[in-house]
Amino acid sequence: MHTGGLPVITTAGLTKHYGTVHALTDLTVEVGAGVTGLVGANGAGKSTLIKILLGLLEPTGGHASVLGHDIEHGGQEIRRVVGYMPEHDCLPPDVSASDFVVHMARMSGLGSSAARERAADVLRHVGLDEERYRPMGGYSTGMKQRAKLAQALAHDPQLVFLDEPTNGLDPAARTDMLRLVQRIGSDFGIAVLVTSHLLGELEQVSDHVIVLDGGHLLRSSATGDFLQRTGSLLVEVIGTETERDRLGEALAQRGLTCRPRGPMVSIDPPPPELALEGAAHDLIRDVAAELGLGLMRLQPDRGHLEDVFLEEGATRA
Amino acid sequence: MPEIPTESPRTGVIHDLGYRRYDGPREGSATIARTLFTTGLRHAYGLGRSGKSKVMPFLLLAMSVLPATIVVGVLVLTPATSLPVSYADYTNQTQLLVSLFAASQAPVLFSRDLRHRSIVLYLARPLGATAFALVRWLSMTVALWAFTLVPTLLLFVGALLAGLDTSDQVTGMLKAVVLQAGLAALVAGITGLISSVSLRRGFAVVGSVMALIVLTGVVTAVQAISASEDADSASVAVGLASPWSLYSGLADAWDAGITTQVPVDGAWVPVYVLVALLLGAGCLLGLVARFQKVGSR
Repeated sequence: MHTGGLPVITTAGLTKHYGTVHALTDLTVEVGAGVTGLVGANGAGKSTLIKILLGLLEPTGGHASVLGHDIEHGGQEIRRVVGYMPEHDCLPPDVSASDFVVHMARMSGLGSSAARERAADVLRHVGLDEERYRPMGGYSTGMKQRAKLAQALAHDPQLVFLDEPTNGLDPAARTDMLRLVQRIGSDFGIAVLVTSHLLGELEQVSDHVIVLDGGHLLRSSATGDFLQRTGSLLVEVIGTETERDRLGEALAQRGLTCRPRGPMVSIDPPPPELALEGAAHDLIRDVAAELGLGLMRLQPDRGHLEDVFLEEGATRA
Repeated sequence: MPEIPTESPRTGVIHDLGYRRYDGPREGSATIARTLFTTGLRHAYGLGRSGKSKVMPFLLLAMSVLPATIVVGVLVLTPATSLPVSYADYTNQTQLLVSLFAASQAPVLFSRDLRHRSIVLYLARPLGATAFALVRWLSMTVALWAFTLVPTLLLFVGALLAGLDTSDQVTGMLKAVVLQAGLAALVAGITGLISSVSLRRGFAVVGSVMALIVLTGVVTAVQAISASEDADSASVAVGLASPWSLYSGLADAWDAGITTQVPVDGAWVPVYVLVALLLGAGCLLGLVARFQKVGSR
């Protein structure tokens, strides 16, 4: 890996205002190697941040550096070693993916034969096979996203910015794309900054998550911290809501605080007398057995990235 | 997607190398700009693009070479002391074809990247918006220059084969080539600017045709009327309004084989040069501003 333990991106007080619109306000974050998710609703400032880091937009205030290059003076150096997959369509329809990726690799400074070799390699990795020789105008959204990703990787960057790579994909293609993003970060050894407005997606693939809201930094921490066990338990039994409620009522009588959540019963952290390792689990098993219910699932509840918005949004307000 | 092993095998049996890093040389901006220039030049003639896109440029080129071929044929077969048409005037006579070539091919270089937004991918690479705009303009200029150069060189070779005076021919040809380069730069700037603003190919072509062919027609008509009304300076002044009348005016002043209705001389010569330079510079600035603006969106 090129980057070692040094931060890949650092920003300090980064601010961007378009007239009265505040796209980014006083953003100070650090991004390391691996996959970093950049989460926020549409208009939260994700794309603006990427464009500033690429040197395409000038910030109103603050500083940032990418791979050790200052964005103010080192824009060209940054763009030499960084890949960018934009959110919107950006492929000419009358060119084949193969030709286009070769051309884009050359535009990043690779020689003719190196560009050809890299393009073939990268197109294979993103999963464009025979269709790479067809004009891109006839591609499905999934194939277009792959071609866009291929051009971002063509010159073997040390860092890639992926702006909403799962946009417009069906669930299967979305899973494929996310797996690919994860592999870029782990197997390929390329640092990834990936944006999405869908929190659940980034939970699966990123090592670190930065949450933006209205141009403000809401939170930046390792994905694990977001998904800490909350101490609650989730129980599901075979049957319908009737069975679920029977179990819930029986457990409540034994001193557990229960509430329905979808087809499951969510049990708040057990009281001290049941907090001993496994005691609550045993109790739930016994109650289910007494009621003759088939226990389907018994698992610790974890936090979700969504909760960040609820918690921290409330604190800020 | 095929399963790819996460570790590259080191046993010597290659099934799949996994992801390979690239640690070979990376060219500087000058080489990247040269690659972009060559690609642009090829694309202007439809080379490296679909077969269909080669039809228009090569058809126009064939049409502009055809009269020169006939002239050369006649010249070689019948005794003559001079070319029936001067090198610079040949370009002037075939101006409709040159204008059509510029109008039809400028959108290829200046509209496509903006319309399909692939400009974003270019600007996320080492070359900036300014360099990109300038290189595109240079591709178009050289494409246009080559378009006028081919019949000029054909005439020149014919003239030498027919045994015409070499030094006269060399002078006339070189003057024409210099004027053509200036003309190409101007026309590339004008059509490029129009194409980068009106992203629909149809609008861009119509806009360029208006600016080059219709405007030049109007200018020529007004010049002729002014000349017949003995308003000589008006006739010369109107010639400042179109790249083609600037070309023929300067060719007239330089004695390059074109005679305008009213000779361009005296203080008009530096004015013509200045207007041509300002027009070219204005178009370039406009192009750069346009690409910078699009790039920051």
